[in-house]
Amino acid sequence: MRRLRPGGFAWLVVHELRLAMRSRRRSRRGLWIGVALLAVFTCVGIMAGLGLRDVPIEGGPAVYTGALAISILLVSFMTTQALLRSQHTLYESGDLDLLLSAPLEPRTILLAKLCGIAGSVVISFTLLVLPIAVPVAALGHPGLFGIPALLAALSLASACLGLAIMIGVVALAGPRAARTFGQVIGALLAGSVFLISQLLSNAGHGRNSGAMSLFNWLREHQIGAGGVGALPGRAALGDPIAALLLFGGAILIFAATGYLFGRSFLSSYQKARMRLTRHRAATGAVARHFRTGLFASMFAKEWRLLVRDPALAFQIVLRLIYLAPLALAAFGHGRGPPLLPALAFASVIIAGQLVGSFAWLAVSAEDAPDLLNVAPIARKQVNRAKLASAMAMAAPFGLILPLALALTSPLGALVTLAMTAAGGAAAGLIEIKWQKPAPRKTFRRRRSGSLVAGILTIFATAFFGGIAALAVWVITAVGL
Amino acid sequence: MTEAALKISGLSKSFDKPVIADLDLEVAAGELYALLGPNGAGKTTTLRMVTGLTRPDSGSIHIFGIDALADPLAAKAVTAWLPDEPMLYDKLTPSEYLGFVAGLWRIPPADAAPEAERLLKWLELWDSRDTRCETFSRGMKQKVALAGALIHRPRLLILDEPLTGLDATMARAVKDALREAVDKGATIVVTTHILEVAERLADRIGIIGGGKLLAEGTLDELRTQAGPDQMTLEDAFIKLTQAPR
Repeated sequence: MRRLRPGGFAWLVVHELRLAMRSRRRSRRGLWIGVALLAVFTCVGIMAGLGLRDVPIEGGPAVYTGALAISILLVSFMTTQALLRSQHTLYESGDLDLLLSAPLEPRTILLAKLCGIAGSVVISFTLLVLPIAVPVAALGHPGLFGIPALLAALSLASACLGLAIMIGVVALAGPRAARTFGQVIGALLAGSVFLISQLLSNAGHGRNSGAMSLFNWLREHQIGAGGVGALPGRAALGDPIAALLLFGGAILIFAATGYLFGRSFLSSYQKARMRLTRHRAATGAVARHFRTGLFASMFAKEWRLLVRDPALAFQIVLRLIYLAPLALAAFGHGRGPPLLPALAFASVIIAGQLVGSFAWLAVSAEDAPDLLNVAPIARKQVNRAKLASAMAMAAPFGLILPLALALTSPLGALVTLAMTAAGGAAAGLIEIKWQKPAPRKTFRRRRSGSLVAGILTIFATAFFGGIAALAVWVITAVGL
Repeated sequence: MTEAALKISGLSKSFDKPVIADLDLEVAAGELYALLGPNGAGKTTTLRMVTGLTRPDSGSIHIFGIDALADPLAAKAVTAWLPDEPMLYDKLTPSEYLGFVAGLWRIPPADAAPEAERLLKWLELWDSRDTRCETFSRGMKQKVALAGALIHRPRLLILDEPLTGLDATMARAVKDALREAVDKGATIVVTTHILEVAERLADRIGIIGGGKLLAEGTLDELRTQAGPDQMTLEDAFIKLTQAPR
């Protein structure tokens, strides 16, 4: 960095990449786990390379279509990540004030930020793909060295797309909506692919993964076998012209993004700073916010805190995505006796996860613990009210699978409902017992705070789930 | 003789080293008592013990005759605590926050709602009652927290640096609010670094240092204790806290 011209484009890019790397820095334990995984990946790559050493890897319509399908999936992942990074850049990083107050062109800052976003996006995929691709390439398939170029091109294009979408949303819907949009997209990241592949599987494409479904669709429509659609496959297999075209195209998109969005980037940031908050016109009397009883007050508070944090709410509710295959099977063509115990088991597990999440928010992530401590209420009563609130919030979701079961076995549904409630209560009690104060925004990492709670929750819900499954199996076997 | 609002006897607390050592303190009902002291003197620790947030190693605390260590819930029912960092929920509006606090103190809605309306108007928060606290300045947040502290009409109000970070207008509003609360019969114990606040508002002032009460009395009494040539509270404070113990 010292050799670069301070304030120049390259200097800023190196600064951005340094920030991107440091934002990934984890604990020593996390680092060791990462290194171990990398070593395992590399071993897998070496073994694959040795196994494939004498096997020719050649292009062809099916390979090119497959590469296109994978590239499309990669771009969707990368764009989602880029959206998140763009949202972070505009709303959370806090360094744009410094950069924009310096005597630098906003366009230069934008381009450096884009490189930073692309860099942070490509790091994840590089760590996943290259430990396998590079050994295979080095052990007899040098053409596969085209994969890093393909990844770089895809990440650069995705970074531009992500930022363009974010700036577009800011321009169309305002910074508040853009921030929420970014948060929701982030929360959706984990579950979307699973859901889409399940929907595709249940829409007549057989039991295939999302990638395979996409591949079949592309092949049916003869897309990717040749022409522009074949470029990713050709580039990955070492065709220098294809790699050059793809990378050149990405550079063009990069330059065009800088040209088109240089000005709107600055105004989006200014808007983001100025209009993130909304002053609601005061209406009516305050009496509607006053309730009788501790539970009612606690539930109202917890419910409001949850629904006013869309990112958090989505993270939790997305767990329901895992209901999708079960629900589709339960209400659709897959209904039948062998499935019912599985439904009963899943009902308890899902309810346990939901209640545990809500209880963690209510207990460990309490924003004002001292307020509760100075209130004239015993800790037991507070915990009871919080557990009841968590269970009440999870209740509508906990009813889904017992209702599905009731279509076939009302008695089994009743047993499942009871075990779902017991499993949920157990999960909530575990969260209360092993509570560890933490900010709400660390929800995703809550298990690192109390590993014991996580393990016990799994055991407790598996126990009640097992009882439910066994009972439902017996009930259906004897025909009750 | 009237019952003391707060009576602390032989209070001690150690963390790595003694923070409070055998502290005795008495605040009469209807009094505004300012507790002053240099950084690390033990002011906040003392108040946290009074509010039940920290358990003392030894000693006793009585609030209006209630043994706060033996019956903490009864003591908390008549006490309010306002720390320098407001105990707020950013995603709640002032009305919702007051509704929640009233629920914690189990104030019937029929009593709490009109009181909330009065407090919101009095503290000039009425027009912002449906806006989430996350959008508020520090001063406005402090006023919301003050409303929360007053919603259950506490007999003893304990405030830790209530004017930290407030601008002059906000600080004046809070000071007026405190004085008005005392005039209506409440008892207030307040810590502050701003000696002018203690000088102008307090009925009595206690100076704490090294975990002990160094001096106590009205402003004139403190001046006398500090020496005949000490004219301001600042002079008296510096002299008393720097005196060899």
